[in-house]
Amino acid sequence: MANPIIQRELIGTLRERRSVLALGLLSLVFTLLVAIRWPTEPRMALSGARSQEVFQLFMFGLLGALQLLLPVFPATSLVKERNRGTLALLLNTPLGPWKIFSGKLVASFGLAVLMLFVSLPAASACFALGGVSLGSGLGGCYLVLLLTALELCAVSLLVSSASTTADAAIRMAYGVVLGLGLITLLPYALFVGNGGPLETIADWLRCLSPVAAISSLLGGGDAASHGISSSTNVPLRFSVLSLAVTAICALWTMSRLNFTMFDRVRSAGTIVDDQSTQVRFVRRLMFIVDPGRRSRAMGPLVNPVMMKEFRCRKFGRLHWLLRLVSICAILSMVMAFVTATRTIAWDVSTIGGILVILQVALLVLLTPSLTAGLICTERESGGWVLLQMTPMPVIRILWGKLLSVFLTLALVLCATLPGYIVIVWIDPGQRPQIERVVVCLLVTAVFATLSSAAVGSLFRHTATATAAAYSMLIAVCTLPLLVWMGRGAPFGHETVERALTINPIAAALSVIRFPGFQDYDLIPAHWVVVGIASVVSLLVLFIQTVRLSRPQ
Amino acid sequence: MSETPVVDIRNLTKRYGEFTALNDLTLQIPAGHVLGLIGPNGAGKTTAIRVLVGLLRPTSGTAMIAGSNCVTQAREIKRLVGYMPDKFGSYDNMRVHEYLDFFGAAFGIKRNPRIQRIEEVMGIAGITSMKDKYVESLSHGMAQRVGIARTLLHDPRVIILDEPANGLDPQARIEMRELILNLARMGKTVLVTSHILPELARICNTVAIMTHGTLRAVGTVEEIGQQVSQRRTLEAQLLSPDFVPTAAAIIRQSIEPDAEVVEAPSEAVVRFSTAVPESQLGELLAQLVKAGLPITQFRELQTDLEEAFMSFANAKPGTTPAAVGKPANAVKGVATRG
Repeated sequence: MANPIIQRELIGTLRERRSVLALGLLSLVFTLLVAIRWPTEPRMALSGARSQEVFQLFMFGLLGALQLLLPVFPATSLVKERNRGTLALLLNTPLGPWKIFSGKLVASFGLAVLMLFVSLPAASACFALGGVSLGSGLGGCYLVLLLTALELCAVSLLVSSASTTADAAIRMAYGVVLGLGLITLLPYALFVGNGGPLETIADWLRCLSPVAAISSLLGGGDAASHGISSSTNVPLRFSVLSLAVTAICALWTMSRLNFTMFDRVRSAGTIVDDQSTQVRFVRRLMFIVDPGRRSRAMGPLVNPVMMKEFRCRKFGRLHWLLRLVSICAILSMVMAFVTATRTIAWDVSTIGGILVILQVALLVLLTPSLTAGLICTERESGGWVLLQMTPMPVIRILWGKLLSVFLTLALVLCATLPGYIVIVWIDPGQRPQIERVVVCLLVTAVFATLSSAAVGSLFRHTATATAAAYSMLIAVCTLPLLVWMGRGAPFGHETVERALTINPIAAALSVIRFPGFQDYDLIPAHWVVVGIASVVSLLVLFIQTVRLSRPQ
Repeated sequence: MSETPVVDIRNLTKRYGEFTALNDLTLQIPAGHVLGLIGPNGAGKTTAIRVLVGLLRPTSGTAMIAGSNCVTQAREIKRLVGYMPDKFGSYDNMRVHEYLDFFGAAFGIKRNPRIQRIEEVMGIAGITSMKDKYVESLSHGMAQRVGIARTLLHDPRVIILDEPANGLDPQARIEMRELILNLARMGKTVLVTSHILPELARICNTVAIMTHGTLRAVGTVEEIGQQVSQRRTLEAQLLSPDFVPTAAAIIRQSIEPDAEVVEAPSEAVVRFSTAVPESQLGELLAQLVKAGLPITQFRELQTDLEEAFMSFANAKPGTTPAAVGKPANAVKGVATRG
């Protein structure tokens, strides 16, 4: 093989037993996805609506699997090489940036192609049902999926080249997945039907999302269009845009693949306290809470581990927390503005639903990155042994770590509340629902924190722990929605309600009476289920931490 | 300096299935002593240390520090011991004083005494000027100093340093050695491991050599040297290289026939290894002088710790170094200790 990187990364990965197992498992899941919606009636539907339903569920499941599983490989690829020192060795060979990048891209993309390949038997079964065209239906969807995979690989490699740690790269890659997949749909949902340049921009923006392209190909109408049909050829635009994004990311990554990646200045650690009054005054105006000030010793009532977590987290310092809260507050205020100006066009429940989706997305994106590495980062850095050598009891260590996450999430959630206040102001009758939504969000925050921390504690490496925690949380949030998509047939109301009981998004949406969820009564069952799951997670986390802190 | 053992290890064994990482280790360290634990990679040094600090549970045997059992009284051990592992546990985005502040708080030191203590330990470790630097940006040598400052925070009686000089440049190694000697002067009992052998020769009261999980020798550097070799290596320094062959001939006649005599004309030196008694050595010197040879020095070379280490390291399990004998270069390659 001409490129040794492909040989090492793709062939090497495929030789591993777990890769074969993963592909086998994936094949099984795809088969089940089709099987659960396979028609069982002795009658044949000539319209092909039933087969299209099966195909729709299958394609969205496939897209979800691709978005969930794929980014981990390219996102950790370059950053791991750099941290292990092997990237410097690669750059010292005559391979050059193009071969290094293309090797890694082909290796990651190859995995995606294999994932899609194992789904072909299930796709053929859908096609055999009839009602799905080979060209624009099956072929079009697979083309969109291939382009999505290529785009995800290129973007994740760029993220990997810019990150300093593997877990930061995974975090960022999942953020990009969420951004490209769902957030791009939001402006169109807000501005559709308005006309003018804003709608045009939003229309182009939504074409970045593979969800919109697949939805359009499956004949489900334009995603986020509220039933307003448009003449836009979304799949074509998506193809052009995804190829453009891939090309830009590829060029950008290749331009970064040189020795400047290692040429980073060490922070001088300059302290503002030692500088002139003028400098201090200007910095105070700029930062409000100056990160350059010498921090004071920890107070007597403070949990040292909590304070340590805040201090050693890149965005844990007070000035960063203020920035994060400010961004959340601004977003919430924008939503509040939209709520106030759009309530005539949309009902309050729809806007509340969008708020809920945004907040849960924020929680899902933020929480695993904060919690998955709570224990394994310490083990990886050698800090765990040092913590073990202190007389602090395990429960205090654990409490300090969890508290640092809870406080951050609480700040973020509080900053996103103004939108709800506006809803209550417009429609005071919504107050009980809003109160329950807020409880749902708090429960979700607790569950996300504890479950991610528990899953993360089972792994030795932060990158693996972060990927596992994201996968678990995204699976909890999306898999029940696949069941919900099959409401009516083959799943009955009761089955869908049971599946949605574990889903935090569905619970909050049902409370706010979001269209499609108003028929399900998920509260308080959701709180009980998630509460039990949180307690179990806490127990797992505690037992694992105690086990790790004991002499081996 | 009291001779009461502060660290008392008896018949300590640690097995992982069939593999014995530590085999029946018995070792005592008196208060205020610096004990150097040396051995090749995989000798069991870190295993012994990890049992001592309560991170590993031994298969059998006991380990006590100042009367506290290392396994059952973990809380007391944490107060008594300052442990610096071979891997520096750094945290990102933390400055040196914040790092020390965290561990001070973790050890339950109250705020005001903690501030004072941090200044003290930074002074001892020589890192006061580094207090505002980010921990991850420090050089390896400086990071090791920060690690030592951290071990001192709670004023432990025993300090255990696992490979503190590993990866340091010569200047930093000298500074580290000074720092460890300074700790000994403060009355701390220090257990230090290293495979940079001259480091230990210069700072340790006692040296213990381990191979294959077994303690092979304990004692001062001189005692270890004597355990390795019953023979002594001597050197006759002459005024000119011209006298070397004559001196070598006289020496060969006076000592054992199988003894090795090395002529080094370039240095105007004759080196030889012998087990003859002191009185016979005196007669040999008299003969050399009587033969009219201009001898400027006649001295015994100390057995180098590295030589002793190699002798033990080359020994197979179940054999003694004496049975193995000295390595081939032990006589030829003797160097004067600086």
